[in-house]
Amino acid sequence: MVKLVAIAGSIGEQSYNRMLLEFIRDHFKKTVDIEILDINDVPMFNEDEDHNDNPVVHELARKISGANGVILATPEHNHTVPAAMKNIIEWLSNNVHPLDGKAVWIVGASYHTQGSSRAQLHLKQILESPGVNAYVMPGNEFLLSNAKEAFDADGNLKDARTVSFLESVLKKFLTFMKVIEMMDAPDPKNAHEEDMDSKHPVNTTVQDVDMTDPEWVEKAAEKTHAASGGDYVKLDRGLLTVDQLNYFLNSMAGELTFADDNNQFIYYNHNADGAHMLAGRTPDQVGDPLSAVHPDRVVEHVKQVLYALRTGESDVVSMPAQTGPNQHVMHYYRAMRDENRRYRGVNELVIDIMPILKYYLAATGQKLVKDPDAVPMSPITGLDSVTGASAHSTPATDATSGASASKSAEKPVEKPATDATSGASESSSEAAPAAAEEPVDTDALTGASEETTTDYTATEDSAPAKQPEVKPEPEATDTDATTGASQS
Amino acid sequence: MKKFVALVGTNTVKSTNRKLLKYMQKRYAEDAEIEVVELKGLPIFKKTEEVFIPQQARDIAEKIDASDGVIIGTPEYDHSIPALLSSALAWLSYGIHPLMDKPVMIVGTSYGTLGASRAQAQLRQILDSPELKATVLPSSEFLLGHSLQAFDENGDLVSATESQKLDGLFDDFLEFVALTEQLDNSKKLHEQEAADFTWDNGTTGDDK
Repeated sequence: MVKLVAIAGSIGEQSYNRMLLEFIRDHFKKTVDIEILDINDVPMFNEDEDHNDNPVVHELARKISGANGVILATPEHNHTVPAAMKNIIEWLSNNVHPLDGKAVWIVGASYHTQGSSRAQLHLKQILESPGVNAYVMPGNEFLLSNAKEAFDADGNLKDARTVSFLESVLKKFLTFMKVIEMMDAPDPKNAHEEDMDSKHPVNTTVQDVDMTDPEWVEKAAEKTHAASGGDYVKLDRGLLTVDQLNYFLNSMAGELTFADDNNQFIYYNHNADGAHMLAGRTPDQVGDPLSAVHPDRVVEHVKQVLYALRTGESDVVSMPAQTGPNQHVMHYYRAMRDENRRYRGVNELVIDIMPILKYYLAATGQKLVKDPDAVPMSPITGLDSVTGASAHSTPATDATSGASASKSAEKPVEKPATDATSGASESSSEAAPAAAEEPVDTDALTGASEETTTDYTATEDSAPAKQPEVKPEPEATDTDATTGASQS
Repeated sequence: MKKFVALVGTNTVKSTNRKLLKYMQKRYAEDAEIEVVELKGLPIFKKTEEVFIPQQARDIAEKIDASDGVIIGTPEYDHSIPALLSSALAWLSYGIHPLMDKPVMIVGTSYGTLGASRAQAQLRQILDSPELKATVLPSSEFLLGHSLQAFDENGDLVSATESQKLDGLFDDFLEFVALTEQLDNSKKLHEQEAADFTWDNGTTGDDK
């Protein structure tokens, strides 16, 4: 559900603006999740002081950063915003800028007919200043005048027309928030414009931490006060601690990498040393822009993959890496999208599919034979429509993090399919001669060519009558050990 | 000799508005006695069941009452006046009305080019509100941009153009103070309105 935070601009005594926010929160709780933040204990702003010294300011900044949008309810003092409201905005526009790029909806309640009209205008001017840089929803003023008479004993707005107007404005605000979110989405006009240096921060980018710092994770975590260890994280669908999330991701049957929509490499499931990974990554690389983890010669290909995923021309791009009789490592790049269908980055899965294939053949009693009628195909799928990539122009595989690509780039071209770090067998180097003939972009990691992607076709190994030793049917029903979700 | 209270609109130690007010204090020492008054230390304004005004605000109110006019030096934070100055003005209109019909001159400095122009514009609107009702020197703006470079080591304005402009404005302010002493037709009415005001049924457009 969309999460909003709301702040009432007056402190101290009872406030009709807070009542208004409470009403909005309770009345629309099925539509939005609204948390009302308390600003009573925020000290007077002083530019000589660091906000880090104050936990209250800190918490406010953190909550606002985490919200999809902000509702500000302002009364009017002396024709302007109350000092208490202005004060928090000053704190939040000095060392930290959580309102930057955030959608804001201003409402106001007042005793009298003016309904805080002048305060709302001042507040708009304040929020549009460069240090704050919020996006205030235009039009749709909500001024609740004669606030004293507006609520019943239970804190509900009495006038049905006011409630329905409020509802219509809230709906518009929810749409406005989506539009604002889309505004900071990077929008390259072609693959070449993909920004591999990650210089266009998005709303999840951690600012003011050097991306290439080996300690990026630690520093960015400190900056964001990231959850860790036993902290719970609410997920779709479940609830895990950060520790549990790590156990889960690190035991995945593949190597996972996350590069965000600013093309910044921000995560991999760290369950092995780089040397023991199919596509080596090292802890110090996390945080790097994608340009820092790819050799220059593959950059244009990586851009094509990213662009195809970003624009939705492909949802998945797949590429073979180390291939041979005993190993067939695939790289799958999936576009990640948010609830508004905005591209939020690439999910890379590196997995050796050979064990799966072998299991399948054994379980069904089949074997691989060459298909004489096979039509040559590109080993890369998902990119053809975009680039017209053929089997002869083989883009670099490691679009997400070229850690391994740069490593293998140092290796002789003659042995492209052999990844020294992956323990590739002798036989896997059989693919080398074919790959060495590749005229375009001899990416050692790729090594894929028509020849190496042998046209295997599964055929019946034995007569169907000869039952395989495995009895799939009765056993198969009982597989879902964890959830017991299967029929049996 | 006229007595003025000069309010420093910010609490930072490096304020160039404070510098400007101290410069005025020194430069116009022969024409007026200017007391530079700090707002630092004032709490954020809040209304309470029982009207309570902090002692510091009461002291400032007394000084203003005893003065012939007020000079306000404001920086610009987020296109408006600092919360500190806003708080001070709220305290100074919370059941007390020292600024009512008091001549006020606004000056402002900024590190950048604009010299707090938008903060000054908002400040004029605020001072015009029913519970403040100050009498602000019209058609006058003193916007000192690039204020970090504007003063020499003696605290004097480097630019002759700027200092001449300020001299002219201050002369105008002196005339204005003399003039406003004669503008007393609505004074009684303002005082009556302020006395009749209650927080429960406020007549001023001021709200919770």
